[in-house]
Amino acid sequence: MQAPLLAIDGLRTYFYARAKRAFIRSVDGVSLSVARGETLGVVGESGSGKSVAALSAAGLVSAGPGVISGRIDLHTNGVQRNLLDGLEEYARVTEHDGRVMAVEKDERGWRRHSERLMAGVRGKEIAMIFQNPRSALNPYATIGSQLVETIRLHTGLKGGAEAKERALHWLERVRIDSPGLRFDNFPFGMSGGMCQRVMIAMALCAEPALLIADEPTTGLDATIQARIVELLAQLKTETGITTILISHDISVIQRLSDRVSIMYGGTVVETGRCSEVLVPEAKLRHPYTAALLASTPSAEAIRSKSYLQAIEGEVLDTINVPPGCRFYGRCNRVTDAIRDQCAGHEPPLGEVAPGHQVRCWLYPAAREGRA
Amino acid sequence: MSRAILEVTDLRKHYSQRRGLLPMLGGQGRVIPAVDGVSFYLRENETVGLVGESGCGKTTIGRTVLRLTDPSSGRIVFGGRDITRLSRAELRPLRREMQMIFQDLDAGLNPKMVVRDILREALTVHERPSDAEIEARMRELREQVNLKDSKLANFPSELSGGEKRRVGIARVLAVRPRLIVADEPTSALDVSIQAQVVNLLRDLQKHLGLTYLFISHDLPVVELVSRKVAVMYLGRIVEMGLAENIAHQPRHPYTVILWSSLADRQSAAGAGLYGRGSAAAGRERRTWGVFDFEQPTSGCRFAPRCPLYRDKGSPAVCTDPASEPQLRDVGNGHAVACHFA
Repeated sequence: MQAPLLAIDGLRTYFYARAKRAFIRSVDGVSLSVARGETLGVVGESGSGKSVAALSAAGLVSAGPGVISGRIDLHTNGVQRNLLDGLEEYARVTEHDGRVMAVEKDERGWRRHSERLMAGVRGKEIAMIFQNPRSALNPYATIGSQLVETIRLHTGLKGGAEAKERALHWLERVRIDSPGLRFDNFPFGMSGGMCQRVMIAMALCAEPALLIADEPTTGLDATIQARIVELLAQLKTETGITTILISHDISVIQRLSDRVSIMYGGTVVETGRCSEVLVPEAKLRHPYTAALLASTPSAEAIRSKSYLQAIEGEVLDTINVPPGCRFYGRCNRVTDAIRDQCAGHEPPLGEVAPGHQVRCWLYPAAREGRA
Repeated sequence: MSRAILEVTDLRKHYSQRRGLLPMLGGQGRVIPAVDGVSFYLRENETVGLVGESGCGKTTIGRTVLRLTDPSSGRIVFGGRDITRLSRAELRPLRREMQMIFQDLDAGLNPKMVVRDILREALTVHERPSDAEIEARMRELREQVNLKDSKLANFPSELSGGEKRRVGIARVLAVRPRLIVADEPTSALDVSIQAQVVNLLRDLQKHLGLTYLFISHDLPVVELVSRKVAVMYLGRIVEMGLAENIAHQPRHPYTVILWSSLADRQSAAGAGLYGRGSAAAGRERRTWGVFDFEQPTSGCRFAPRCPLYRDKGSPAVCTDPASEPQLRDVGNGHAVACHFA
């Protein structure tokens, strides 16, 4: 099998809550991988760590202590590099019983080293689009000049005229009406949907190997969302770009992804093919995934006006992470046979079917410790 | 059939916008018709859903019917009484009968007060109960919204999103309202919490006989909780009818597009959660032009984006300023504002 384009392994990104004098374990041992040409969907609620994991991969976590351990392997142009290579010498992590007690980090050293590793990667190999397109664009510059700047920075096209031609080409590809006129528009003169198209053009114009789309449709109107999703689907077939798509909207993930990773409380609880994980009749899956799917009103639920199957309890507190399974307190499938394990030990990701992993004691794969 | 608790007739709310230096000096502004001639009614103990894109005037309607903002014209009758022109003092006793749940989780929760004091304030604002009564009511409220006892001593900042929403609902229930305007009650919540709150709101309706005006852009949820749904576009109701008819047999081209944009996304994964998106809907969505809230319109305000208008070869009646389409009854309690639907 070909090596994955990007493989994140055991990534931990923590923040420090000064008021509570404790670590917020935003990303707590996340492993994700995306193969060339594939779209990986990452689903999770707010606070599940999906965005922080993506920001870590792009080297964009600025608050401390930030990334503290893990590997991020990027495989492009026949070169494999670990985007966290050598950074461990700048951070000293003191652990006790598997819990991080203290992190001493040389922030300046870390940042300098990280910038060296990320130069030529961020924007060039890994491009990102964010949730709020208007805040990601420079309000004082026309969209044309912003595109041209990106193109001249990241591609061989250094001449102004050539770069402008390329910029217009990309505006056309993201289906902006009359790109020639829009080229000189400022972001405030454009609707949210159009700004998002410009962002997509800007991300793709350097022809990156990997696109990370962090909630690309959230905050847009329903009809505009559908159009952006459609655009992403078209661009995916046209360019075949590898994508990590982050969203809390399962329907968007269903539409665009090949594989999906479900995140809960800073870890991946399930990974598998979309067609196996996100279908109502799937048998093997994590109780959280099942509950998440059941809590959106289905056609039958609406017809019979029945109650929604709510997930009881509250979203996991990522400061006081309980021992055991992170979903234990809200899980409705705990049986007496596994209760002690659920409460006391965190299950590993176990393979329940080829290419389909679930982090749950219900499945023998987890109990046998097969990873 | 129960009687109408709220009747709104030809409601208008126009905001004036002043832009640039000259209009500011001249006192001349542009008028934004946020709500432009809307009529509907709510029967006791039923839910009417209000859907539409952001900026279409949903929230303005919610605020205006409660007289949180004053209407420019029109008539609002609440419980058989015309409240359109009541003064603040006259409105005060009515305030307890009509309440609003705001989209913002923190709206209405004083950050410097603990939950117990927030609820106590709500319980004592309209009457003077004894301490024992307050305690009893507080326990009742806590049970109604399923809030843990220990949370009473917390500040709002120490609560999770779902808990804040529960406290907000308890605070509204404290005055025993009859009508609740729920403005996007779930949109600020995590997906796994949304279902809890939707179930809670439906439970409360059943037990307390509440009437809801349910404002949301979450179409499946609106369809689930509402008996009737009104679809808004740029300040006007373009279609109104029973929830299942609006969702499954929409007549207005805008409603068709609104629902198909949802079905299209969801039917994608084969089995999907929804079995709706038809080929026709897909075609209509593709012809969907770029829209602009600020473009001046004459006649039907949906015409510039309307696939039907284009298919029919731009008929003059659609853009005739003298013939803006009005809601007309098409039977079965269904009304649609379109010349051709």
